[in-house]
Amino acid sequence: MTENANTAKPAKSRITFISRSAPYGNNRANLCLDMALASAVFEQDVNYVFLDDGVYQLLKGQDAAAIQSKTLGNALETLALYGIENVYADQQSLKKRGINRAELLPGMQLIDSDAVAKLIESADTVFNL
Amino acid sequence: MSCLHTVNRSPDSKLLESCLRVINADDAILFIEDGVYHCASKISLQAIVETVKVYGLREDMLARATLSTALDRVEPVDTSRFVELCSEHDKVVSWF
Amino acid sequence: MKFSIVIYAAPYSSESAATALRFARSLIEQGHELYRLFFFGDGVHNASKLTVVAQDEINLQQQWSELIEQHDIDSVICVSSALRRGVLDQTEADRHELGSASAYESSEVAGLGQLIDATLHSDRVVNFG
Repeated sequence: MTENANTAKPAKSRITFISRSAPYGNNRANLCLDMALASAVFEQDVNYVFLDDGVYQLLKGQDAAAIQSKTLGNALETLALYGIENVYADQQSLKKRGINRAELLPGMQLIDSDAVAKLIESADTVFNL
Repeated sequence: MSCLHTVNRSPDSKLLESCLRVINADDAILFIEDGVYHCASKISLQAIVETVKVYGLREDMLARATLSTALDRVEPVDTSRFVELCSEHDKVVSWF
Repeated sequence: MKFSIVIYAAPYSSESAATALRFARSLIEQGHELYRLFFFGDGVHNASKLTVVAQDEINLQQQWSELIEQHDIDSVICVSSALRRGVLDQTEADRHELGSASAYESSEVAGLGQLIDATLHSDRVVNFG
């Protein structure tokens, strides 16, 4: 990371990631994950929200070997190891897709739209894809 | 803390709907690219809370022949005003 | 005010890269500082120099490069996105024994740490995709 001594900015910012895309069909879910992991490595304050089709990333039992891909669900299970503990799934998105809590990877906090709005409001920067 | 949301897809997508679900009352929306088709849609604009300011990127509206059909609620802005709007709000959230 | 811009979209496939270019030009014209450009995912194609376009069309990659050089902008192509898409600077081309570079020299190939650094040191981060 570039050192910039002439700045009064804090060494830590609050970054909210909103992951809105289903896995595998395109690379957005992976891009979002890569950014979130990098933020954690550089010790930023990370909130990771799964919204809309993004909640499909959280289904248990994914196996992407059949499509020569890395299984995204496995990576998402290790978020806590990287220090990303604020991981949220939007309840309305789950409900709309008929997904119940038992089908989700462990460690997800279910939140409503107002709580997502607050995570956007309280962030310094929002990455939304 | 207010936020500028940019939306770049047409009413056929659910992008605006997603944005509106998590928007705060003092935020603003700027429609860009294919998002400018919302500017002539009563249904789209009625779904946006009245306190939220609505802008459309003028260059994209001109390109798509939607400047003249835009409803009164929408303020057309050029790219330099887009930059100003970014600095007037505390952050920018891009919906794409 | 200090801005950073993140570009996820390839040129020509969608309008987003062109929108980002107009936005970048405009903020510089207004006297704001562009702290960093960060090309991510398909966005790395904006730094590809091995391109030819019809005479009556604009060459987005070339225009990016001219803007970057003219204003001495810190422009970064994400290394993991770039390598797999064949957008290489000479260092990477040599390292992987792939012959010639395909990226404009005006941009630097670097990691996601540069994006996190940009979020820390910019007043606004604006995403185009």
